[in-house]
Amino acid sequence: MSTRSLLTAAALLLASLFGVIWYEYRRPEPVALSPTLTGEEEYCVACHADLPEISAAHPVETFGCVICHGGERLALDADLAHSTMRGDRNPSDFSVVQASCGGSECHSGSPEEGRDHIHRVLTSVQTTYAGAIAQIRFTYGAQPDLTARMGVSAVQDDMITTTTGLPSLEAFVPDAESSPSVVAFAENCLNCHLSAEPLPGEPYARLTGCAACHTPAASADLDRPIHRLTTAIPYTQCNTCHNRGNYDLRDMRFHPREDQPGNRLQDYYQPIAQFVRCEWTLDCIDCHTRREAMGDGDLHSSKQEIQYVQCRTCHGTLEELPLTKTITDPEDLAFRMAFLNPVIDLQVGDTVIVTEQGEPLWNTRRLPDGTFELFGKATGQRLTFRPVKGTACQQKIDEQESRYCHACHAVER
Amino acid sequence: MRPSFFHHLHPPTIPAPQARFRYTLGAGGISVYLVLVVIATGILEMFYYVPTPEGAAESVQTIAYLVPYGWLVRNLHYWGAQALIAAVSVHLVRVVMTGGYAPPRRLNYLVGIGLLLLCLFLDFTGYVLRWDQGVRWALVTGTNLITTIPLVGAGLYGFVMGGDQPGPATVVRFYAWHVFGLTLLLVGMGVWHLFRIRRDGGISVAPPVARVDPSRISRSELVRREVFAALIATAVLILLSIAFPAPIAAPIREGEAISGDARAPWFFLWVQQLLRWGDPFFLGVAVPAGLLLLITLLPYLLPGPRPVELGRWFPPSSRAAQIALGVVGAAILALTLLSLLFNNSSP
Amino acid sequence: MGSQRSDPPPVQRRDFLQLALRGLLALSGVLGLAGILRYFSYRPGPAKPTRFELGPSSEYPPGSRTVVPEAGAILIRGPDSFHALSLTCPHLGCTVEPTSSGFSCPCHGSRFGPDGAVLRGPALEPLRALRVEPGEDGQLVLFTD
Repeated sequence: MSTRSLLTAAALLLASLFGVIWYEYRRPEPVALSPTLTGEEEYCVACHADLPEISAAHPVETFGCVICHGGERLALDADLAHSTMRGDRNPSDFSVVQASCGGSECHSGSPEEGRDHIHRVLTSVQTTYAGAIAQIRFTYGAQPDLTARMGVSAVQDDMITTTTGLPSLEAFVPDAESSPSVVAFAENCLNCHLSAEPLPGEPYARLTGCAACHTPAASADLDRPIHRLTTAIPYTQCNTCHNRGNYDLRDMRFHPREDQPGNRLQDYYQPIAQFVRCEWTLDCIDCHTRREAMGDGDLHSSKQEIQYVQCRTCHGTLEELPLTKTITDPEDLAFRMAFLNPVIDLQVGDTVIVTEQGEPLWNTRRLPDGTFELFGKATGQRLTFRPVKGTACQQKIDEQESRYCHACHAVER
Repeated sequence: MRPSFFHHLHPPTIPAPQARFRYTLGAGGISVYLVLVVIATGILEMFYYVPTPEGAAESVQTIAYLVPYGWLVRNLHYWGAQALIAAVSVHLVRVVMTGGYAPPRRLNYLVGIGLLLLCLFLDFTGYVLRWDQGVRWALVTGTNLITTIPLVGAGLYGFVMGGDQPGPATVVRFYAWHVFGLTLLLVGMGVWHLFRIRRDGGISVAPPVARVDPSRISRSELVRREVFAALIATAVLILLSIAFPAPIAAPIREGEAISGDARAPWFFLWVQQLLRWGDPFFLGVAVPAGLLLLITLLPYLLPGPRPVELGRWFPPSSRAAQIALGVVGAAILALTLLSLLFNNSSP
Repeated sequence: MGSQRSDPPPVQRRDFLQLALRGLLALSGVLGLAGILRYFSYRPGPAKPTRFELGPSSEYPPGSRTVVPEAGAILIRGPDSFHALSLTCPHLGCTVEPTSSGFSCPCHGSRFGPDGAVLRGPALEPLRALRVEPGEDGQLVLFTD
């Protein structure tokens, strides 16, 4: 064994040590985050430092990443780190929502504290699709009346608070249906409930689960959704399912709308709709309340059972002013909503409109002269309006549905 | 330079044919070096590894990703251990194929078989200590094999696992075995094995009258060759460690869905293949034990080489033993390949 | 060639190779050692919190002395301000106990006055003063760093 051979071997060893040093410096710098809720270090930001804060209510110093997303907090290798993530890129998908968003201090708490979001959305008509399923099955003779018996998944409700609430829904099983129309319905018409993947294409682009509404999609590229949770949901988000076209019972197909809208007015509703100015100036959530959009915790057979807001809710009638409430409690729900979406600087002592079911329209405020101001939840736009009482409105007291208001106040496209 | 303590561990001179690479392949020597590598890297890992079900996999992730050069220590430990299994297997084949087990070396052959077993158990216990989804199935089935042993199965399982199912006691016991119990035995028997080599006259070679090449090499030359091999082996292990990280998977967590690779560690794939075919005790315990017994008793059952034929590969007089080992080796290899090709069940 | 005894002999090739070999091995050894030292330098786990929210100042009337166990400190409200003292004995780190005349350490008998000054050893330094500042909405915040 010559010295030359040993020298070569030693040089090889030294070269491999330099390889070690090179590899060590190539690795991502382990940047740690210690969220106060868990007290454990997480290293997600070593690679994901440029991810924006998801919302003011979920600061990353408090929550970190793993408490919602799952994943391996110590791993700096992408495959291992992501291997135990919940729901891939969307931890709010209903298959994992309880683990990601649940907890009695978070979103599966008590109704009294207003923390029962998960229960409400899982029983909501937008998730169960119970109304559409019941309508079709009734129409084609698969069930004797319009009371819902089935939802997209089986669901139970142990606490019924309304007169139309149901105790449970079975899972809708297309293979067990005898009517070919109902089977066709199952094949062609189940793309618009909150656990369904949407139809392909930009107009329909949305995520599933909570993110379907609360994460506005920047583009149709759902492989790169924006990292955001918001309550300032614009009408375009609702329009990923609503106002996209019509179902035809004859051929049991969905017919997408074919107009090419040029402005907000044209884009908002389908060409056949009739509406007043606030219905296209405001966003859907400016009128449709939390209970309407997310459910009241009960299983319902149709959306008519849950929709209750009308023009009179804000405008009152010729005989009555709209219902209002002066806020005295700094812990009032209205303040929590205003904090989440600061379009209005609500103060204790302000008077806001409340609905017939007591839900505060926290983005409104009565002005000293008896009129009201409203701030668009998605646009922030300030609008003022008068109550009907004391005006020249020609309504009939017992005709309060919006179609009657449309008779005079409807806008032409 | 004056010969050091390390030099004096070797005889002053040895016959040159004994030391030829083409004769021994250096397999035994490399095994000694690899044992040193895994002990050193294992000690380093002990400063960070946490032997509890909740902490184990996370501590492995800490070593792999967060500790400076932790990845290197871990990968060296892993590759060193796998290379050790390969090296001792090559050494076994070399010893049988060159007739190095013939008297007076039969006792040392038995010690060597013991060392082989210790290496396999060390590799298995180390594998389990990862406590992640990649080892879960191997842990469950490998240890359940113990329960199939008649009479003593249940008791033995309790002894090995510290309970009636894998749990916190299992981690601690496997850790104690891996780090201390088996290692102590390995070092003790290893020293005995090396001592016996010198007592039995060194690496087996033909008696002087029958030797073709009468030259000898000095202990300094021998040490130089060993240093050369060590340097090359270290460089290779380091390059392997850079290029191929040791396997790692998501931790085993209570109450979470079981996922993960249902494949045995590579050195037990042949047993896994056997287990696909029938009774677990017979195929998983009795057959492997029987093969091991056959190999152990080779020097006693089959004729060994005549002394003049020593010092080279495939001496004609011990052909039966060579064929026997060849058949066993080929069978294990074939079973391993079968397991890989036809039942590739990674999710 | 004629060798002159007064000149140093030229470096032989084999000595140079020996030197180079030892140099490479030594360098590898140093790198390895440096790597091992860095290996041991890792500090796991998040640092202990140094910021504690104490609630509104109305909960601590003037003249009150309130132990904050999770911070290892005592909050003292004087006539017009708040201050805080660490309850960690500066001697060897035991937690001192409040007494009628100040603080006393159970481990080696150090005594401190009510403002943390050393009355009796073996401690040589007074109890460390800690910052108390108003946080958001008038809540008190204690800093232990």
